[in-house]
Amino acid sequence: MGRYVVRRLGQLVVVVLGATMILFACLFVIPGDPVGQIAGSDKARDPAVIAEMHKQYGLDKPLVVQYGTYVGKLVTGDLGTDYTQSRPVTEILAPKLGNTAKLAIAAIVIDVVIGISVGVLAAMRRYSIWDVSATFLTTLAIGVPSIVLGMIMQSIFVIKLGWFPLIAGDSFEGIVLPAITLAIIDAALVAQLARSTMLEVLRADYVKTAIAKGLPRRTVLARHIMRNSVIPVITYLGISFGSLLGGAIITETIFNWNGIGLALIQAIGQNNNPIIVGVVTIGVAVFVVLNLIVDLLYAALDPRIRLA
Amino acid sequence: MRGARSAKWVAGAIVIALAATACGGGDDSSSGSKGSGKDGGSFRMGITEPVAIDPYNAQESEGILVTTNLFTGLYLPTADGQVVPALATSKKVSKDGKTWTFGIKKDTKFTNGEAVDAESFIRGWNRVAQKSAASDVAYHMAGVDGFGDVQSGKAKTLSGLSAPDPYTLQVKLSAPDFEFYVKLTHTVFSPVPKVAGDAKNKAYNDAPIGNGPFKMSGKWEHNKSITLVRNDDYGLTKAHLDKVQIDILNSNNGSTLEYQGFESGQYDWARMPTPQLPAAKAKYDPQGEWLEQDTNGMNYLLPITDNGPLKNVKAREAVSYAINRDAIIKGVFQNMQSKSTTILPPAFKDVYQKDLCTSCVAQDTAKAKQLAKEGGLKPGTTIELGYNTGAGHEEWIQAVKQQLEDVLGVKVKATGKPFAELLGDQQKPNATGLYRFAWGADYPTPDNFLFPLLDTASINKDASGKVTGDNRGRYSNKKFDDLLAKARATEDESGRNAIYKEAEKVAMDDMALIPLWNRHQLRLANTKKFDNMAMDFHEDPNLAEIKLK
Repeated sequence: MGRYVVRRLGQLVVVVLGATMILFACLFVIPGDPVGQIAGSDKARDPAVIAEMHKQYGLDKPLVVQYGTYVGKLVTGDLGTDYTQSRPVTEILAPKLGNTAKLAIAAIVIDVVIGISVGVLAAMRRYSIWDVSATFLTTLAIGVPSIVLGMIMQSIFVIKLGWFPLIAGDSFEGIVLPAITLAIIDAALVAQLARSTMLEVLRADYVKTAIAKGLPRRTVLARHIMRNSVIPVITYLGISFGSLLGGAIITETIFNWNGIGLALIQAIGQNNNPIIVGVVTIGVAVFVVLNLIVDLLYAALDPRIRLA
Repeated sequence: MRGARSAKWVAGAIVIALAATACGGGDDSSSGSKGSGKDGGSFRMGITEPVAIDPYNAQESEGILVTTNLFTGLYLPTADGQVVPALATSKKVSKDGKTWTFGIKKDTKFTNGEAVDAESFIRGWNRVAQKSAASDVAYHMAGVDGFGDVQSGKAKTLSGLSAPDPYTLQVKLSAPDFEFYVKLTHTVFSPVPKVAGDAKNKAYNDAPIGNGPFKMSGKWEHNKSITLVRNDDYGLTKAHLDKVQIDILNSNNGSTLEYQGFESGQYDWARMPTPQLPAAKAKYDPQGEWLEQDTNGMNYLLPITDNGPLKNVKAREAVSYAINRDAIIKGVFQNMQSKSTTILPPAFKDVYQKDLCTSCVAQDTAKAKQLAKEGGLKPGTTIELGYNTGAGHEEWIQAVKQQLEDVLGVKVKATGKPFAELLGDQQKPNATGLYRFAWGADYPTPDNFLFPLLDTASINKDASGKVTGDNRGRYSNKKFDDLLAKARATEDESGRNAIYKEAEKVAMDDMALIPLWNRHQLRLANTKKFDNMAMDFHEDPNLAEIKLK
């Protein structure tokens, strides 16, 4: 188990390095001078100013040297200095990462609570009106792109009704709409997944045995059915956390939520490469760590699964 | 430079000049009020992330919005292209046009209590000019003696600046410039207090201490917000608003958020996405919440005049006659744009010569064909037409292409590229044909259009033949250059303006630029709650003059 964790963490290093290398090469090979774009000026920029800024950001050195320097700093947790504010990338991104985490956690909570309860109820009353409408609504939710949903909610609850602020920033009342937008597709998928695994488990021999033994219904449900149906759901949630980060880009843009998704979009607009590489580096690391946690959780829930 | 924002310019309609802005913080108001309205209130709006709010590098209208409200220099520009004194009490220029002496208003203070005197101006200018500042806007002071030495790092201070007494600033220039004081309307010429320190002093860059009508409340929260509050110790006419809350929005959907913010009552001022303009106008114009204004920028087609199919003036005139501007304005811009028939913007009232471009007034296909024949623009010729993508230019570019092809029988190759690449293409030695082009003024003088865009000196080719100056059309006419030099050497303003008009006519007769439409700006303004709202010279709200109703 311990060795397994160490090996997985080793993989993390390789994955992060690979991802940053690809991204770094792409960003810095793309034609166009990042420094030339910072101001986005219509007028010819003084070559002396450009040279000075290149020197300041180390852009006068070959790409390999720049990447070497980047990785060297990365080891110490330093993601470099951003172009527009000249502040450390980590300092800029830390609060934003916290905001995105808040949003992602709120979304996961919605996923779990709504998704599992809708799915379980639907499975237990199979083919009832409840089940049919749940299936219909979840399918609809999966089909609607979150950008559309977000904008519809914004126009109803923000602009028409004025219940929530337009610029969520990172306020508490601002989290409701973005979290729902972010969660809705996953919640629907979780509901469908929970329903089908539950139905499968209900048919399983060990459940029949448990019922035949005369165990109380509540015990069967909690010990045998729920525990076993939840495993695939947890796996799914672990994977979906990564897609939540992706979805956060759209959601944070719509609601101006001050997280790393919005930071990434803004950085792309500003050609602010250190922020772009930084967000992706953090994103990859978070994704890999979460997958590790999910795998460990998996083993804890199902003793048949061995990690080695 | 706001020219870059022209990438985002939107459509506009007939001119409704907003005369309310002819004040710009004059120094004569003891009563402190004009018209109705009272003090107080919080004004809310959105912008996108500025490059800088410190005068050392503030450049586009977002950054300038904050900087002009935090700092007050010697002169201010009004929306209609006038220059009015702010802290300047007098100006004197030597006979040779090289030495300027300004009197500075006494007893005004920075918000930290420090006095604003000649030294604080010298400090501010030197701070910008340093090589280490790497300022994008330092070139505005290039005319000051010693600028080259400071930029190259040889000197620490501009040798041209001195203070004969604490409230007199003397500026020596390296060449005559009778319009130097006009340049001082740019925020780069602001005074700064001692605490400003070096241009790269981050603490100051994010929370500048100035002498303007407003001061910072807290610091600049990057990509999030900036809050201004009234400076109660302001040395000139005090602002009326208690507070200005500026949200920093994502540039990708900033105008959408601004518009939605206005609709939901969370903003008092907003830009709008182009597709929403007709609906917004229909809704807000009847309520008096719709502002429109011709501003100090222009949109042109840029013909490359030294090479290719548009080398001949008649060919350029043929292109201009072949374009049906009215049809494009009606069809593409839904009448929210006004036709341009000059090189200089109508916002510069003193020099505006309506219909100077005769080929711009109406499409004339017969004349176009005739001139094309005479100018060697044969049917079947390929004309390159470069434009930048993603900024709403695609539709009208297609219309222009269609019209040129239909009328002249030429083949137009329209190529869309990212903005930075388009600018690079214009600079290439072998560039030919036409480019989408726009220009906005840094200060209200015809020189700021005519010199950079059309003077031979502004072509500035390097060894490889690349054009490094702003005269991307490579227009060169000695008569024009001489007139411009003569204008610069003319002290009397009305005499100077007459020469500028003459120079504009020379360039227009040569079709050095092909005018399309005036830069026209549209805004929503919460006139139910606030009085006295208008756009300033930089297309920003005139925060210092807005009052609560």
